[in-house]
Amino acid sequence: MLHRTISRKTVLKSAVAATTAFGIPAFLPRIGDAAAELAIGLVEPTTGIYATYGEYERAGIAMAVDEWNARGGVMGRKVVTVAEDDANDPGVGVQKARKLVQQDHCVALIGTINSGISLSVSGAANSLGVMFMDSGGHTDDVTGKNCNWNTFRVCHSTWMETHATGVDLAQRFGKKWYLITPDYAFGHSLYDGYVDVAKKLGVEIIANDLVPLTLTDFSPVLTKVQAAKPSLLIVLNQGDQFVNALKQASAFGIAKSTPIGGPQCELEAVEALPVEARVGFWGVEWYYDSPLSVGPAGTPGRKFAADYKKRYGKTASARSAFGYISMDRVLWSMAEAKSTDALKTCRALENSKFNSIFQGSAYFRKEDHQLMWPMLIGEIQPNGTPGDKDNLFKIIGSQPADKVEQTVAEKAKVCTITYPS
Amino acid sequence: MLEHLAPQIVNGLMLGAFYASVAIGLSLIMNLTGVINMAHGSLLTLGGYFAFMLAAIGTPFAIVLIAAPILTALVGLAIERGLMRPLYGRDPLYSLLLTFGLSLIAEEVYRLIWGSNGVPVSAPAALQGGVSFGSFQVPTIQLFTAAVLVIAMSALWLFLNRTRFGLRLRAAVQDTEMIAALGTNTQVLYMVNFCLGVLLAGLAGVLAATQLGLNPTSGNALLMPAFVTVIVGGMGSLLGALAGGLLIGMTISLMTLFFPAASDVSMYVIMAVILLIRPRGLFGEEGLFG
Amino acid sequence: MNQNRGIFAGLAVLVVLAFGPAIGGRMNIDTSFLAEVLLTAIAAMGVNLLLGYTGLPIFGNAALFGLGAYGAGLSIKNWHVGFLVSILLGIAAALVGALIIAPFLLRRRNIYFGLLSLAFGQVFYFIAYRYSDLTGGEDGMSFARPPLNLGPIHGTVSDTLMYYVTYALFVVATVAFWLIVRSPFGRTLVAIKQNELRVRYLGLNADRFILVGILIAAVYAGLAGALYGLLLRFAFPLLLDWHQSGNFILMTMLGGAGTIFGPLVGAIIFVIGKDVISTITPAWEIVLGAFFIACVLGFPKGILGSIGAALNRGRAEPEEELVPAVAIDQARAKIQSDSVQ
Repeated sequence: MLHRTISRKTVLKSAVAATTAFGIPAFLPRIGDAAAELAIGLVEPTTGIYATYGEYERAGIAMAVDEWNARGGVMGRKVVTVAEDDANDPGVGVQKARKLVQQDHCVALIGTINSGISLSVSGAANSLGVMFMDSGGHTDDVTGKNCNWNTFRVCHSTWMETHATGVDLAQRFGKKWYLITPDYAFGHSLYDGYVDVAKKLGVEIIANDLVPLTLTDFSPVLTKVQAAKPSLLIVLNQGDQFVNALKQASAFGIAKSTPIGGPQCELEAVEALPVEARVGFWGVEWYYDSPLSVGPAGTPGRKFAADYKKRYGKTASARSAFGYISMDRVLWSMAEAKSTDALKTCRALENSKFNSIFQGSAYFRKEDHQLMWPMLIGEIQPNGTPGDKDNLFKIIGSQPADKVEQTVAEKAKVCTITYPS
Repeated sequence: MLEHLAPQIVNGLMLGAFYASVAIGLSLIMNLTGVINMAHGSLLTLGGYFAFMLAAIGTPFAIVLIAAPILTALVGLAIERGLMRPLYGRDPLYSLLLTFGLSLIAEEVYRLIWGSNGVPVSAPAALQGGVSFGSFQVPTIQLFTAAVLVIAMSALWLFLNRTRFGLRLRAAVQDTEMIAALGTNTQVLYMVNFCLGVLLAGLAGVLAATQLGLNPTSGNALLMPAFVTVIVGGMGSLLGALAGGLLIGMTISLMTLFFPAASDVSMYVIMAVILLIRPRGLFGEEGLFG
Repeated sequence: MNQNRGIFAGLAVLVVLAFGPAIGGRMNIDTSFLAEVLLTAIAAMGVNLLLGYTGLPIFGNAALFGLGAYGAGLSIKNWHVGFLVSILLGIAAALVGALIIAPFLLRRRNIYFGLLSLAFGQVFYFIAYRYSDLTGGEDGMSFARPPLNLGPIHGTVSDTLMYYVTYALFVVATVAFWLIVRSPFGRTLVAIKQNELRVRYLGLNADRFILVGILIAAVYAGLAGALYGLLLRFAFPLLLDWHQSGNFILMTMLGGAGTIFGPLVGAIIFVIGKDVISTITPAWEIVLGAFFIACVLGFPKGILGSIGAALNRGRAEPEEELVPAVAIDQARAKIQSDSVQ
């Protein structure tokens, strides 16, 4: 058996290598030191199951940064971003958030994709006293039970998603629903939203299958769906599970025999589906090619989509929009408050109406810091449109935020925002 | 409830066949060399990506089913010659660490080559749709997977029991020193065994890609079910991989009927029960890991 | 002579760590990462006791670690306990978890022990995940970091204070570990690793020794988990998952199983190495993976283990623990009591 012996030379060499490796950071330029720069920290996944969504969000963020820098930056300072990988782990998210603020002197944080990480980073940002713009974590609690004076959210809450789609789905597809719910807080809050919709519309939820987040094979569930013959199958799972569920639903023939729908469907997920599995009516938060979302030709939304395509060669997704809007508003709040002090910038953001890359105007509600902007519903077009095979959604409806989010009074039961003195 | 039972049982069999196909390659490698291959999921993914590439240039599915596993096995060959040799005979935990490192590298390499988003892979048109079993349907691709599994296992059995090389392989599992003393080149044995395991992983990967999403991390979700299948069925036994797969598949299927949220943890409970009652597994051989 | 050199080196390490925040500041490493290194090392020490010294690869350590975090978090959230009490309750939670699974684990050895602990660990993970009303589920559970009132220290625990609390507990844990492995108890564990049958034939109840070993590992894991929860002000189910268990095992092996400071070296590589590399490049998984592979190939006994072997090359192998020290003491006592009659 080969036994490698270590010579002292090797030990010394390794020691030198290790010291150099760990010493490198001491020689890296410390971002944010220069007074001429304004550093914003990004906590997004670059590895793991959500890496693709993180990529699109960062792409949108970069476009906002460039736009502001072209106008002279914020308060005369150039905007730079420092990005860290949250690796889909809330602990890493917290540690990286601390690092961004304390080592890299970031004055605000933007992120993430995973709701759990949004919550953990929100808490960390709160203890550090910086603004956290939740770009992509959807769970209700971020602007509900766990709301903070320093946390704002761009993407829609799960309540908004279920209530915007629920009405439309009930009208189109009848009132016998079968739900597949991923067994974690995000899934539960989506389910609770549909339960509320069902109560209000007289819809019967004939079954709800809670499936673990690690489930790859949906055939046991789909077998049950086959037997139950609902008027609508609602799939709440996201990411890989969404792709698996739809692929297998197509294999079971359910995709053809039973309407499928749900509260959230991302362009990235549909792109990962083979053509025969691209079906359904889904909640969409922003869409690059719909007048209902970005307006007619010539609007900032259309321009954003075109510039994005030119720069990255890819179609902008809702995630790209989240990233752009998040960075744009964070920077605006600093320009408006003429300060990077979170106490001032957060107050500046509350309730101030603005226009952006979508139709109509929007505002961050003062009571819970949720962005109030329209929620869309779209039907999947498996092959896109002639000339644009990426045009995978046909947006067929739009609901204003006030109609589909919980009222201020309802939210006040779980969320009270108090600023530190 | 009873009319719901029949389709779940059939589905359990199908799922079991799928898990067995995923587990066989892992079992083969663990059996001879004691290497715990944490990169097994990455190899499944690689098989899927090769299938994707071949399909993109118009290769017929029948050829993909043969070519993609072979390509994956070639990568396995490179890994074996470069990295595995020093691990044989060492504490299996070292193979865990090394193959874990490999899986990290693989994930990022896949991301760099094919992007972080999933790529669409379809079953060929002939295998889409389902077969009617009275009141319920079974997807054709699932039946096809079961058929491929049976063929692969039969071929493997023939190889191990009816060829000289296979005989030497089985002898080496029993007593490596003796067979080396009798003049067999054990290095070649190890190499073939490893590549065979990777070949089977690649094949399972192609089948998985037609039914599940394919992205840099998709294979990792199958790693634990593969391990549990091997442990439950017993190492060192093809029948064990099959039995383990069926048991796990059936459990998950039936749990989904009665307590869906626990369908994932149920396979760990079964593993615990087997380890407490019969640690070598249902069809395993005694004393493989001390 | 050799032992004195080891003690000196160990003390030197502990002294250097006392200047952690200052060193970290110069190296652009955040204090909270340094605290994370030390508490991770504490958890890995528990794994080391079982893996490196007793020969039992425990793959469910993360469940005990997570129980520590949730124990601390839940007690703060629901009962508003203080800083130190939350740590004690975290340790208690881990001990309870260990007591539940120990009777099962004791029935197996080697890889089967490991796999059993993995299976039970996953059951705990499932519970943390599923009972989200209690634990917050995947979204996790946030809680405040209570103030610390101990002697001259009063008030909120800053990041730096958190580091020093962790450091103090790390020193205690390390010294305790060193005493444990040198004690007759610890040497019996090593004897069990070498030949359990012989230990049993000498009349010793090996199961009882292993049980105590598991409980010690649980204390270390629970302590580490509670500290991590307090550091993050957050607990989440992934802390209990097998990936985390795997990390503890890997860093113990990387640093050197069976050495005192192996877990610390492994923790430094895992926590700081990952952080540094992931900041430098988004392709950090390639670098980290390549590093693991290089370590396995280049350091067959882990980093400290191989360095130790290299430095000891030429000297005789340490004697096998032929007869456990405890057995010698018992035999001696028996002879004395017999001769009195």
